[in-house]
Amino acid sequence: MPTITIFKQDLEGLLAGPGEACQSITIEQLEESLMLVKGELKGQNPDSGELRIELQDSNRPDLWCCEGIARQIRVKRQGSLAPYGFLSAKRKALKRLNVAPGMEKVRPFVAACAATGYHVTQEGLAQLIQTQEKLAEMFGRKRKTVSIGIYRLAAIEFPVVYDLVKPEKVSFTPLGMDTAMTLGEMLLVHPKGLEFGGILVGQDRLPVLRDAKQQALSFPPIINSREVGEVQVGDDALFVEVTGTDLSMVVLTLNIFAANLADRGAVIEPIAVRYPYKTSLGKTVVTPQDLKKSQKLPVSTIEQALGQTLGAKEVAKALTAYGYEVKASSKHVTVTLPLYRQDLMHAMDVVEDVAISRGYGDFLSVMPSDFTVGGLSRIEEVSDRVRTLMVGMGFQEVISNILGSPQDLRDAMRLEGTEWGQLVEVANVMSQNFSALRQWMLPSLLRVEAASNRAFYPHRLFEAGEVAKFDLKQPLGSRTVTVLGGMIAHADTHFSEIHSCVDTLFYYVNQAYSLEPIQHPSFLPGRVGAIVSEGKPIGVIGELHPEVLERWQISVPAVAFEIELTQLAERP
Amino acid sequence: MDISSLIDSLHPLEVKVLSTFVADPSAVLPTEQLAQTSGLEPSQLSMAVEWLLAKSLLTVETETVTPIVSLTKIGELYFEKYAPIEQVLSAARDAATTGKRLTIQDIQAREGLEPAEVSGAIGQLKKEGALLIVQGGCLESTGRPSPTAEAIRGLLQQLHGTTHELQAFPEAHRQIIQDHAVKRGKAKEPFRIDDRVARSFKLSAAGTEAAQQLSAQGVLEEVSQLTPELLKDGSWRTKRFRKYTISLRAPRIAPGKKHPYREFLDTVKTKLVSMGFQEMRGPLVETEFWNMDALFMPQFHPARDIHDVYFVKEPKQASSLAEPFVSRVAQAHQDGGVTGSTGWNYAFDVERARRLVLRSQGTAVSAHTLAAQPAVPGKYFSIARCFRYDQVDATHATDFFQVEGIVLGEDINFRTLLGLLNLFAREVAQAKEVKFLPAYFPFTEPSVELHVRHPKLGWMELGGAGLFRSEVTLPLGVTVPVIAWGLGLDRMAMVALGIHDIRELFTDSLELIRSTKGDF
Repeated sequence: MPTITIFKQDLEGLLAGPGEACQSITIEQLEESLMLVKGELKGQNPDSGELRIELQDSNRPDLWCCEGIARQIRVKRQGSLAPYGFLSAKRKALKRLNVAPGMEKVRPFVAACAATGYHVTQEGLAQLIQTQEKLAEMFGRKRKTVSIGIYRLAAIEFPVVYDLVKPEKVSFTPLGMDTAMTLGEMLLVHPKGLEFGGILVGQDRLPVLRDAKQQALSFPPIINSREVGEVQVGDDALFVEVTGTDLSMVVLTLNIFAANLADRGAVIEPIAVRYPYKTSLGKTVVTPQDLKKSQKLPVSTIEQALGQTLGAKEVAKALTAYGYEVKASSKHVTVTLPLYRQDLMHAMDVVEDVAISRGYGDFLSVMPSDFTVGGLSRIEEVSDRVRTLMVGMGFQEVISNILGSPQDLRDAMRLEGTEWGQLVEVANVMSQNFSALRQWMLPSLLRVEAASNRAFYPHRLFEAGEVAKFDLKQPLGSRTVTVLGGMIAHADTHFSEIHSCVDTLFYYVNQAYSLEPIQHPSFLPGRVGAIVSEGKPIGVIGELHPEVLERWQISVPAVAFEIELTQLAERP
Repeated sequence: MDISSLIDSLHPLEVKVLSTFVADPSAVLPTEQLAQTSGLEPSQLSMAVEWLLAKSLLTVETETVTPIVSLTKIGELYFEKYAPIEQVLSAARDAATTGKRLTIQDIQAREGLEPAEVSGAIGQLKKEGALLIVQGGCLESTGRPSPTAEAIRGLLQQLHGTTHELQAFPEAHRQIIQDHAVKRGKAKEPFRIDDRVARSFKLSAAGTEAAQQLSAQGVLEEVSQLTPELLKDGSWRTKRFRKYTISLRAPRIAPGKKHPYREFLDTVKTKLVSMGFQEMRGPLVETEFWNMDALFMPQFHPARDIHDVYFVKEPKQASSLAEPFVSRVAQAHQDGGVTGSTGWNYAFDVERARRLVLRSQGTAVSAHTLAAQPAVPGKYFSIARCFRYDQVDATHATDFFQVEGIVLGEDINFRTLLGLLNLFAREVAQAKEVKFLPAYFPFTEPSVELHVRHPKLGWMELGGAGLFRSEVTLPLGVTVPVIAWGLGLDRMAMVALGIHDIRELFTDSLELIRSTKGDF
C-alpha cells in the first residue's frame, strides 16, 4: 500500500490529456474521485498544492503515480480510454536492444522504449523518480523481480546490449559517486550495491547495459551510470528500460512508463528486444506491448455477484468507462484490460471494476435474510461463568499482553530450566519485552501487582485468557489453552484465603477437586499444591515464593491460583 | 440553627455534660464536679466542654491557675541515686578523709557529670561555705553542711511519685525548686512546675434553653449504632440515634468488577450473538498456511516478510498440514486450479506453508472454519488476539484483538454485503449514516471499506469487508458465496474508556483499571 506525493496542478494538467485545456478539480471532487483508484487523501498543503495519497490496491501498480490516478479519473469522465498510438508502430525501423546469451540464468528479461518530444518538468521528473522507486520497491519486490532505469536518449547509440560481464571487466561512474569503479567494487562500496547486491549473489558474471560505443548505461538492478543515467529538468529525449525475472511483469512495468510519458505528451518509440533464447512472447519482443489480458464471462455471473440486474449494455458501459475494451453480446461480455493492467485473475476482478465504475453508492443494500442461530463457544461460556464468579468474590479483572519477556515469564518466576519454564519464543525479536508467548497467567497478574503498590489494599486480581503451552507432541509445537489466574496481595494474606476462593469456584461450576502437595519453584515449599480434578492436575495454588516477589519488587505477600479452563470446558 | 436541631446534632458526651445542669440550670459547677456527676473520663470531659464552649452553650465562670510541682525524669533519677550537689560534696569529703588532691576534672571524670552540673553544684557549695577552692584549682571540704543539698534531698523524697502545690512549700524551698525547675535552656533539672487551671462553668442562655428542652423530652440515651441487642430486647425505643452528617464524602471501596475494555468487548460479543453469529476460536500459533496461504496471499506478498509477522523460534515448522487443503491451495496459487482463476503463477513452496507464525490476522480463524464444513447458511465471528511485528507506541500495539467473521449463504452477494455492513454500523456504532468505499484485501473481491458517522467521533472507518475470492473458498471446500468482514473497534473502545494511548487498554496500573468507567 504505497503512499505517494503528487501536485494538484500536475494532476489537473494530466486530467485533460495532451494538448487539451487544464481541468480543475476541487478537493471534495478529488476525494470522491479517489474511490475510482482505491485511494485516500492522507494530507495536503494548499499553498504548494502538494497532496499525499495512499493507494490500497497492491495489484494496480499503474495507479501509484499522478499519471495513473489522473488517467483513471479521465477515462471515467470521458467514458472510455483513448487508444495509445504507439501500439501500432511499424516494426521495421525500430531501435534494437540485444540480450547476451546466458542471461536467462541471471536476470532473463528486459523491456525498453524511447520517449521524445516531452520536455521534462520539475514535477514530471519528481513523478518519474517516485514511480521508478515505488514500482521497483513494492511491485518489483525490492528490485528482485523488476527494476527500472531512465536515461538521456541523446547520449546513447543503438543497438544497446544487455550483456553479461565479469565483475572487474566493466567500470563506470555510478550515480552518487565521483569516480569510476568496477561492478564488483560497486557491490562492495556503493550504498545501492550494499542494499540490493543480494539479488546477484552467486553470479560470477553480472548484467550490464552498454550501447554500441561500449559505453555503460547501467548495472541492473543496482545503479545507473552518472553520465547517461541522470535525467535532468529540460531533457526532451529519454530512454527507459526495465529488467527483471518475470517477463509479463517487466513488460507491464514498461507499459506503465510508456503510458505515463505519452500522457505527458511524449512520442513513444517502441524498441525491439532480441533474445538468444525463447521467451513466452517469442525471441523478438517489441515493447511496449499490449498483452491484451482478456476474459469472456456471462453477464449473469456479474449480475449474480452484484445482486443486481444490469444487462450486457450497462456492464459494457461501466467497464469501458473504467478503461476496459469490451465486446458485448446479449448474454456475454468479452473484456480486455488496458495495456497498463494485468490484474485480471478471476471473473470477480471484473465484477469489482463494474461496481467501482458505477460507484458503490449506486447499489442499494439488502439485509441478508437467512436465519441463523448465534452462540458462544463452549470455552467462552465457561470463561464468562468463572469471570462472573470471580467478580462476585471481589476480584478485579485485568487484561494483559499475551506477548511477554522470558525474564518475566520464566526467570522472575524461578522457572529457569524447568518444564514450567518452556516457552514459545519469537525468532525475529523486535523488543525483548515482546519476545515470547505467556505459558501461564500468574506473570500477567504479578506485572499489575508490581506496578500498583500505591493502589490501596487489598489487591484481588484475576484474568481469564489464552496462554500457549510449549508441547512438541502437538503439530503446532504448542497448545493454546484458556486459563483462569487469580491472585490476592495484602499484608496479612495467606494460603487459606485463596483456597476458599478456589473451593467456592469449584462448588459453583459443579466440579469436584482436591489439592495434592507438589514442588513448584514459584511458590513457598509446603504451601503449594496441584489442583486435581477427575484424576488430572488442572491447576496450581499456593503462596508465592518470597524470591519471586523480590524479583518482581513486590513488597507484600501474595497468594495465587491458576486453573486450565479448557480442561473444564471439554467435560460433558 | 434552632434549638431542637441543635440538640439533635449534639454528641452523646455533650448531652451528658449538659444533663449535669438539668437539676439547677443556673449552677456554677467546677470541673471536678462535672466529672463526678457526668461520670466522664477527664479526656472525654475536656473534649465535650471544649465543644460546648465552641457552640456557646457553656461559659467559663471562674478560672484559677495553680502552680504544681512534680519531679522530672531527672528528678526521679536523683531520687534513686544522688543529685550532682550531693555527689560533689561527698567526693570532697572523701578526698579530705584520704588526703588526696581533688580537681574539678577529677570529679567530672569520676562521677560522670556534665561540666555545667559540676560548676553549678560547686558554685552553690562554695556560697554556702561547704567547699573551698584552693591553689591549683583543688577542692577542699570545709566539713560544714550544705543546706541546699539537704533541702534538695528532702524535696526529692517529698515529691517522689506525687505532686504538690508550689504554695505549700516554705519560701526557702520554693526558691530552691524554682532554681532547679526545668525551663527553656535548662532541660536537665529535677523539678517541673506546671500550671493547673481550675475552671468553673455555667450555662449560657442558649445552653439553659437546651438543658431545659433536654430535661423536658427526657434524656434519652443517645447511641450511635443500632445493635442486635437493642433490637432483641426492644430497648431501641428508649434510645436516641445520633444524626449523621450525610453530606460527607463516602469512604472509597474497590469492588470486584470486570475490566472495562473486556466489558466493551463483551457488549460487542453479545451484539454479534444477538445478530445470529456463532463464535469461533483458533490457536495463537498458526502455520503460514492458515494465516496467509489459505487466504490467497502469495508467498512473495510483502506483508509476509519478517518485518510484518512474528515467526516462532522453536519448532520452526508444523509437523503436518491438513490435506486435501494444502494441495488445493497450492494449485490455486500456481495456476488457479479449479477456482476459475489464473493463479499467481509461481511455484508454491509447501515448506514455507508449514512455517509457524504468531497469528497475525483474525481471518486465519475464519479460514479454519471454512475448511471445517461450516453451516450454510451460517454466520461466524471471532474476537481473536493477533500479533504484528510493529514498534509499540500510542497508536500501535504489537498484541491486540481483532473482531472478524464470515457469513455464508446462497443469497450472499455485493448488495447483501452492504446490507450486513449497514447492520453493523447501526448495531455496533449506533451510526445512522454510512459510506462504502472501494478497498483492497488480498482475499476478497469486491472489497469494501465501511465508514460511519459515529455519534461522538464523527466520520470514522469502522471496518473492512468483501466477498471471499473463489481462490479462498473453493480449495477449502465451500461452494457458496462468503462474506468476510472485520471491525476496527479500538478507537471506539478508547473513546468509551476515555483513554488516548492504545497501550492503556492493557495497562498494568490497578489504580487506572479501578478508576476507569466505560461509557458504552
